[in-house]
Amino acid sequence: MAKKKSAFRKQLLLQMFALAGMLYLLVFNYIPMAGIVMAFKNYSIQMGISGIFTSEWVGFRYFKEFFNSINFYAIFRNTVALSVLKLLFSFPVPILFALLLNETRSLKLKKFSQTVSYLPHFISWVIVAGLAYSFFSSSGVINSMLQAMGLTDKPLEFLTKSTNFWPMAVFLDVWKDMGWWAIIFLAAITGVDPTLYEAASLDGAGRMKKMWHITLPAIRGTITVVLILALGNLFGGGLSGSNFEQSYFLGNTMNFEHSEILQTHVFRTGMVNSRFAYATAVGLIQSCVSLALIFISNFAARRLSDASLF
Amino acid sequence: MIKIKKANRITVFDCVVAALLVLVAIVTLYPFYFVLVRSFNEGTASGNTYFWPARFTFDNYATFFRDSKWLGGLWMSILRTVVGTVTGVFFTCIVAYAMSFPQLAYRRLYMTLIVISMYFSGGIIPYYVLLRSLGLFNSFWVYIIPSALSAFFIMVGISFFREIPADLYDSAKVDGANDLIVFTRIVLPVSKPFLATIALFIGVNHWNSWFDAAFYVNDASLKTLSSMMMELINRNQAAYMTIGSAAARANSTVTTFSIQTAAMVVSVAPIICVYPFLQQYFVKGLLIGSVKG
Repeated sequence: MAKKKSAFRKQLLLQMFALAGMLYLLVFNYIPMAGIVMAFKNYSIQMGISGIFTSEWVGFRYFKEFFNSINFYAIFRNTVALSVLKLLFSFPVPILFALLLNETRSLKLKKFSQTVSYLPHFISWVIVAGLAYSFFSSSGVINSMLQAMGLTDKPLEFLTKSTNFWPMAVFLDVWKDMGWWAIIFLAAITGVDPTLYEAASLDGAGRMKKMWHITLPAIRGTITVVLILALGNLFGGGLSGSNFEQSYFLGNTMNFEHSEILQTHVFRTGMVNSRFAYATAVGLIQSCVSLALIFISNFAARRLSDASLF
Repeated sequence: MIKIKKANRITVFDCVVAALLVLVAIVTLYPFYFVLVRSFNEGTASGNTYFWPARFTFDNYATFFRDSKWLGGLWMSILRTVVGTVTGVFFTCIVAYAMSFPQLAYRRLYMTLIVISMYFSGGIIPYYVLLRSLGLFNSFWVYIIPSALSAFFIMVGISFFREIPADLYDSAKVDGANDLIVFTRIVLPVSKPFLATIALFIGVNHWNSWFDAAFYVNDASLKTLSSMMMELINRNQAAYMTIGSAAARANSTVTTFSIQTAAMVVSVAPIICVYPFLQQYFVKGLLIGSVKG
């Protein structure tokens, strides 16, 4: 300890830098973590920040209230369904896209298509929602085109029919972040030893075979790490973490039955209706699931392969 | 379109691959092109506007740039992006620099605190109560202070600073330079690529950010472009559901939708401008840095 203290004094400037960062984390990350106790307390915002700790304990009252509420089933089903659907599509599609980019023989087309594909990653969901409305609303581009071609008489209800919300959400999620995540897979593919492909060609392997037996196994480590990242944020919307923004911007009274999720429920009950303790309890469920998932997937990855996050 | 080596034939497989890649490019780019076309189209003009304005006009932009509300939002977005980027880059840089020294006392403790903050948080409600108690509501600083440090960029920074050869520090120390001089005169100048990279990413985040402006700020003069866009889109949403959008004013070709397209172009334009600099090199470095953590 004495040794550490003298080292500390010698590194005064560096320690000041690091401690400034720790102070920031303490205020903006660790104090809110302590605020989680709100979930078990009868708290109202008038009590100020100290009221979080002095208010009376109510145990699991708010958790029970949420589990017994009429919307619980729909909210939980939507959260799980959207998250799992995104894992099923938004995670493999970038891998397929990277393989596709790797297979083309035209370098110009490869560069162009790739450069264009990650543009939407840098565009905010506000704009993407605006684009979605101008394309998929009843008077939007897609419906106008379909009607002009005589493919449909009545406009299709992409955004207003409740059951269309899930496929729309998954499509927009893939559209926005496919190119971004393909970058990392393509980088991994580029690192594959080319002699492996030559050897396989001599053995008479076709391109599909080479893809399956050489490329995919070679990027297994990268796939595992990205999968852990996606699983860790499963209820947030996987890789792009888009669940809240999508349900907030594209959710409406007509598709509420399929668009309301844990995060929008927390937002509506907490920030809109000021039921802070209840909303904290609902939010805590999501945080705990995320934490559990990231540990389980990391543990599994370490067992099954040599790749892991920590 | 497809260049091949002489010995190779173009197979069906190649054609399918090329067609799919072209399709991806079109599906990605066309929505942006459509909005651009509509922003130069008279809002009240009907007809085929998929590839070219039916009736060309600058009115939408003129209306946008004459409206003091929109201009105020634009100014606020620029201000928060500039101030937020400078603050964010500086703060991330000093913390990452300190953390990059393996011999830093208590380093393991600090690192644990950073990693935990990456994977667990108190959630939005305790955070909301905190910001309120700190008096950050309805203040410009709510845009800057809570987002001043990102654990993710610290990780990227640590791996960058580790690459700086130790000889550089040692020779400066021999010449009698103290830590502060080493940092400002030696470390910062050689770190320009890293600083530029995180500045771009932090800047884009600030420019796109809407949640804080929408829910932590009520004062109309503090609203940013993206939060105003969000309100307009929410308002237009109701109109889309039924009849499309109605004209904002009589005797004007400008509709709420056409002004929305102009606002969208203004929001996206800066990102397109910096896009060449967000090149693959930067993107790759950041992504891979993040995964190797």
